[in-house]
Amino acid sequence: MSDEELLRIEGLCTRFFTENGQVNAVENLDLTIDEGEVMGIVGESGSGKSVTALSLIDLVESPGRITDGRIWFRAPDIADELIESGADDEVTDGDFVDLRKLSEEQRRSLRGSRFSTIFQDPMSSFNPSITVGEQIAEAVEVQRRARANPRSLDAKAQRYGLGDYVLSTVLPSKKYVTGASRDRAVELLELVGIPDPVERADEYPHEYSGGMLQRAMIAQALAGEPEVLVADEPTTALDVTIQAQILDLLSKLQAETGMTILLITHNLGVIARMCDRVGVMYAGEIVERGTLEDVFDHPVHPYTRGLLGSVPDLEGAGGRLQPIPGNVPSLLDHEMPDRCYFADRCPKAMDECLEHPPAFDVEGSEYHTTKCYLATTEYTEEKALPDGYFDEAGRAADVGEEPSETETGIGTGTDSETETETEADSVQSDGGEPR
Amino acid sequence: MTANSSEPPSRTEATTRADDSPLVSVQNLEKYFFENDSLLDRLLGSDPVAVRAVDGVSFDVYRGETLGLVGESGCGKSTTGETLLRLQEPTGGRVEFDGRNIYDLGRSKLNAFRRDAQVVFQDPFSSLDPRMTVGSIVTQPLEIHDVGTKADREDRARDLLERVGLSADQLDRYPHEFSGGQRQRIGIARALALEPEFLVLDEPTSALDVSVQAQVLNLLDDLQDEFDLTYLLISHDLSVIRHVCDRVAVMYLGELAEVGPVETLFEDPKHPYTRALLESVPRASTDERDRDRETLSGDVPSPRDPPSGCRFRTRCPQVIPPADVEDELEQSTYRQIMNLRERIEAREITLEEVGVEGSGRSENDAGEATLAVGEDGLDESEIPAFVETMKDRLLADELPAGHDEIVTDALAELARRNWDGAADRLREEYESVCERVDPALEESGDARESGYRRRHPVACHLYGVGADPTSETQIPSPSSNADAE
Repeated sequence: MSDEELLRIEGLCTRFFTENGQVNAVENLDLTIDEGEVMGIVGESGSGKSVTALSLIDLVESPGRITDGRIWFRAPDIADELIESGADDEVTDGDFVDLRKLSEEQRRSLRGSRFSTIFQDPMSSFNPSITVGEQIAEAVEVQRRARANPRSLDAKAQRYGLGDYVLSTVLPSKKYVTGASRDRAVELLELVGIPDPVERADEYPHEYSGGMLQRAMIAQALAGEPEVLVADEPTTALDVTIQAQILDLLSKLQAETGMTILLITHNLGVIARMCDRVGVMYAGEIVERGTLEDVFDHPVHPYTRGLLGSVPDLEGAGGRLQPIPGNVPSLLDHEMPDRCYFADRCPKAMDECLEHPPAFDVEGSEYHTTKCYLATTEYTEEKALPDGYFDEAGRAADVGEEPSETETGIGTGTDSETETETEADSVQSDGGEPR
Repeated sequence: MTANSSEPPSRTEATTRADDSPLVSVQNLEKYFFENDSLLDRLLGSDPVAVRAVDGVSFDVYRGETLGLVGESGCGKSTTGETLLRLQEPTGGRVEFDGRNIYDLGRSKLNAFRRDAQVVFQDPFSSLDPRMTVGSIVTQPLEIHDVGTKADREDRARDLLERVGLSADQLDRYPHEFSGGQRQRIGIARALALEPEFLVLDEPTSALDVSVQAQVLNLLDDLQDEFDLTYLLISHDLSVIRHVCDRVAVMYLGELAEVGPVETLFEDPKHPYTRALLESVPRASTDERDRDRETLSGDVPSPRDPPSGCRFRTRCPQVIPPADVEDELEQSTYRQIMNLRERIEAREITLEEVGVEGSGRSENDAGEATLAVGEDGLDESEIPAFVETMKDRLLADELPAGHDEIVTDALAELARRNWDGAADRLREEYESVCERVDPALEESGDARESGYRRRHPVACHLYGVGADPTSETQIPSPSSNADAE
């Protein structure tokens, strides 16, 4: 693992504009990923971890949109080319290019060759009516054609049009997939540990088991020899014994190719098994990040602690679990108060928490940062918010209430005037933000 | 409700109604589903194919305890849960609830049974009717069983909602207004409405996030104490099982592999499958990366055509070779030969195109020479080349001389397209006790006589009973020295 940065995400915001209002799925997210490391993102459902991955590879679909932020990716060749063609500082920064500033065509050409993805559900990620081998060969072919013309970025994204398709069905010689790409597909299948790859390549996805399909999807993702592999819950649909196989495979491939992996999962065990560094997401933000040891052994943010505490331990004996009270918050913009998003479930909520915390460095480790005031301030009884401070607002939010009730909840809320004021203020300022 | 065991309970702290007769006794339960069983199929004369979801499962659930049923997807654990509640009719076996076989119950007795035994389903989104209010969902069981007046029922619903951690004024809301964890609480309230004795919890938390899962597990724990409930917890999540259960049954492909007290089973698992399962779970701790673990290879076989003998033998890292082979071959080499035979038996090896390097036969597109085994097999002269290629392709290790000969013989048979001959040759030499005899779920050693809370039967030939005495050498488990208590 080298310490050179490969990816630098700054202030990423991804929003979904739904009928119920604006959903802030990813909120001002900063993240750096070094070359050759395995970076993990862990969080509960709805914490925005998958949307982060999709934003990175520019696959956010309508009604979602990346509204702000920069995604710097180290690609000296592209940077040079852009500077030659007269791009300014907005687009390049040394060897880095801002992926969001590239043209659609250029971004498209990066997918597969620089970035690749494996998704959670292998069953729905393959086309059931085409053989697995052919689908992998297709990915190989796309990459081969892109590489055949390395100089021009535009030429990389050669289209496969309707005409080609019709020709390929009529004339066997015009087939999109060539013998060479098929051979490569078989090689890839062998690489990911599929027995009898030659025969298996001619089978259809339904003839594969879940674990084998996940292997095939990894093979497909490796077709372009990507620098970054984004693995979005790669083992969630699998049984533990198969999960262990897939994780071993990913480790092996990473060691062989030196690629960088961004691993997204809700499973803390998978994180512990695979990752060098980890970011914990809650309500669209990374609330704590650091090396595996930082986060697992010296967590600062109460959410991280809560998450670790609520996992039943396989090794130790029973005892009561320590759940985090309440529910994952709604990410609707008008329901997100301008305070620490976790404060209403936090056992150590204090006065400071009514203001949104910036990221603090945690002492003792270079990478360890957290968005929690506890990193700099001691928690004391005096500063604690009174019990039930968030209750009125909290209960309304609990049952997915209409926004109006949430607001009345806050308005009629508490008996402590000063805090009611702060809360009311925050609601106003929140509402005043541009939508 | 008399104690039918001569042993006093080994631990006294257990339940208030401590007696040793099980509340639920499952005996040899079988549930097959049949494919190709429509009228048309019968007219066409095709035979139905049995999917053996549950294939002879026996266990007891004692009063006040939580029995965990754990296994991978498709092993039949949910079908077991549904069948023992008579939500599915069994194909064979019996289930006694409070001493009576539930499959013989008449209509009114069956109704009474259904009041006493309830179920909480996995998916809190599809198990609640979206068009019913929470109030009507929770009171519906009471209405069906005609309990109390309307006002009584509503009071009871309010009570129940409070009890499961919701607020009574949410009675008029609809399920979509609740989060997953809250919906699961509603499902629990509904199951508790009739004051059952026994609850089947079918993956009650697997649709929930960990922080919410912990809330629901704690709630279930509290309710058990409060209402003297007996649970059968079905789950694939071993850490949940460890946390909640008193005893655990491990299921694999429709059969039980091992049953034992939770501590013993997790600290000192006996069945190789249980061991592999436990090893596979990644721990949420920083030591995880350095933890060595052996992963199981391969997939779970199909329940349509389960392996003979021990169901786990196709993936077992400790399959027992015949005595004379055992000293000569490594387990991994033996496994390769077993896999080879399995593929020959399934006729899964392609003979039409066998690549042979450095020989001048017909060439395919890639420029490799190939041998094609035709209808009548290969020429005798080509057999050695064929055998060598096959060995390269199918076996990773070099075999010791004697075994090399046997495999060569078998592959030569294959070159003559004599599938059965090849398989027979290998079977003769390498057949394992694990494939001949299906191991029964039996207690080994002196624990046989102890009370149910300590019994730890296991269905594996490594543990003696019924095993071939010549091959009864036991590979010690890393933790076998640990005290089972």
